[in-house]
Amino acid sequence: MHSITPDRMPRSQQAISVLWPSFIIAIVASGAFFSAFDPRDLIPFNMDIDISPVATYSIGFFLFWLLAFLSSSGTLYFTISNCRFLKKQGH
Amino acid sequence: MATIEASPGEPVLYEAHKKIYPREVSGYFTRLRVISLLSLLGIYYITPLLQWDGRQAILFDLPARKFYLFGLTLWPQDFIYLAALLILAGLALFFFTALLGRVWCGYACPQTVWTEAYLWMERKIEGKHNQRMKLDKAPMSAAKFRIKAFKHTAWIAFSLWTGFTFVAYFTPIDELAAELLSLSLGPWETFWILFYSFATYGNAGFMREQVCKYMCPYARFQSAMFDSDTLIVAYHPERGEQRGSRRRGVEPAAVGLGDCIDCNVCVQVCPTGIDIRDGLQYECIACSACIDACDEIMDKMSYPRGLIRYTTENSAIGKRQKILRPRIMVYAAILLLLCGMLVTHVAQRVALELDVIRDRNTLYRETPEGLIENVYTLKILNMDSKPHRYTLRAEGIDGLRLVSDQSEIEVEAGSVYQIVVRLQADEFNLEERSVAVNFHLQAQDSNHLNATKEARFVGPGKS
Repeated sequence: MHSITPDRMPRSQQAISVLWPSFIIAIVASGAFFSAFDPRDLIPFNMDIDISPVATYSIGFFLFWLLAFLSSSGTLYFTISNCRFLKKQGH
Repeated sequence: MATIEASPGEPVLYEAHKKIYPREVSGYFTRLRVISLLSLLGIYYITPLLQWDGRQAILFDLPARKFYLFGLTLWPQDFIYLAALLILAGLALFFFTALLGRVWCGYACPQTVWTEAYLWMERKIEGKHNQRMKLDKAPMSAAKFRIKAFKHTAWIAFSLWTGFTFVAYFTPIDELAAELLSLSLGPWETFWILFYSFATYGNAGFMREQVCKYMCPYARFQSAMFDSDTLIVAYHPERGEQRGSRRRGVEPAAVGLGDCIDCNVCVQVCPTGIDIRDGLQYECIACSACIDACDEIMDKMSYPRGLIRYTTENSAIGKRQKILRPRIMVYAAILLLLCGMLVTHVAQRVALELDVIRDRNTLYRETPEGLIENVYTLKILNMDSKPHRYTLRAEGIDGLRLVSDQSEIEVEAGSVYQIVVRLQADEFNLEERSVAVNFHLQAQDSNHLNATKEARFVGPGKS
């Protein structure tokens, strides 16, 4: 009998299970972060950076997404490799 | 990628996706659903067009860091209201789920709303469900290509409109439209319009029920809010079984069958492709398409309606149905309490903020008259939607004098005003090296609009 384990998940669903939760977390995180910090205050002294607030928010959002993406991929990677390891050991 | 085999009866979570072609359906619940879906689509596309006091009525102005909700202007420090609103929305979802089951999924979820809109376009262009199936199976031809190209053009146009509307919640729609027409959209605005359009196109055109099945967290935990008195869509097995086909007008008992004629229409209309006769399933979004479909068949057979119906677990087994049960009352009580708190909080919200910064360059100085003087920078934030004149006073030390070049301060609507003031006090009245003083700011046209801020007054101290 084949049991259904994460390592047998189709790639598309693996991708969704990483991208989707991290997307939601990125929305929450950037909402909380940017309501506390004004992007204009984040530019260090004497640095003449001409960047629009919308660009800052967008880049911030993608950085949060990347961060959460890395964390979620780590979880998926370890889940899959642990599954394979346990299988090899005959579990 | 290895193919996935599963023994019979084992749940196959990772099966390959089969495209679902929901059959068209009509009836009472379908009409109710169409009304709900159209209203929600209408709200989404019309909201950014509404005006209020010469500006967009609902606008999340990110560059200016202000949220406009009709008469209310929210600042980043009011983020708590948005958080409260989200918590309220979550609780409302709990409440309605306990009471009415997955009405949210079937009637209001954006995934359902846009999927139905895209399905409607698909139906108009490709035809009924069996025509659509035939078209997909047919080899590519000029005719097929034309139909498909037309469908995708319609979908993409609708997606772009959706993406444009989405960005219009964050950038004033008239500016956005003008920029679009003059082809001078900013890079990020262009990006977000395309991003949102693509997400709509993908989710409503292709992913559809898979979003509910594989991506939706609510679908997974909604069962925790269910009890035996929650409204569900269910098949009546005692009445329906033994299912089987028969000619029209045949009395079921005469042929030893139940009322289900096994026509499979309930399966064909299901947008998630399940068989409701297998019992309650987490894929069921309670869209009630199978109720309308089955009722139509029952009418044709001259059997009573309601073989598939809205019911509760308790009433299905003949128990009395309780609407006002502890779970409902607890959810309702928390919901009402939070609503009340939010409303009173917003009503009592003072649209004024005062910030005081003591001049740090000098601790204090002595005036020619021999008074001790401290200098402060005041930041006045008028969060109201109209300008106000304010009177400033300070207290905390006997004979404290406030010296400012303005006797009253006028601050424009939604802006910050900075002013430097001096406080002077007689050394004899200073009990300690550092004494607390209070700045009071009072709007002249509204008693309600006032702010107080404490600051320190530093002197030489008692020797």
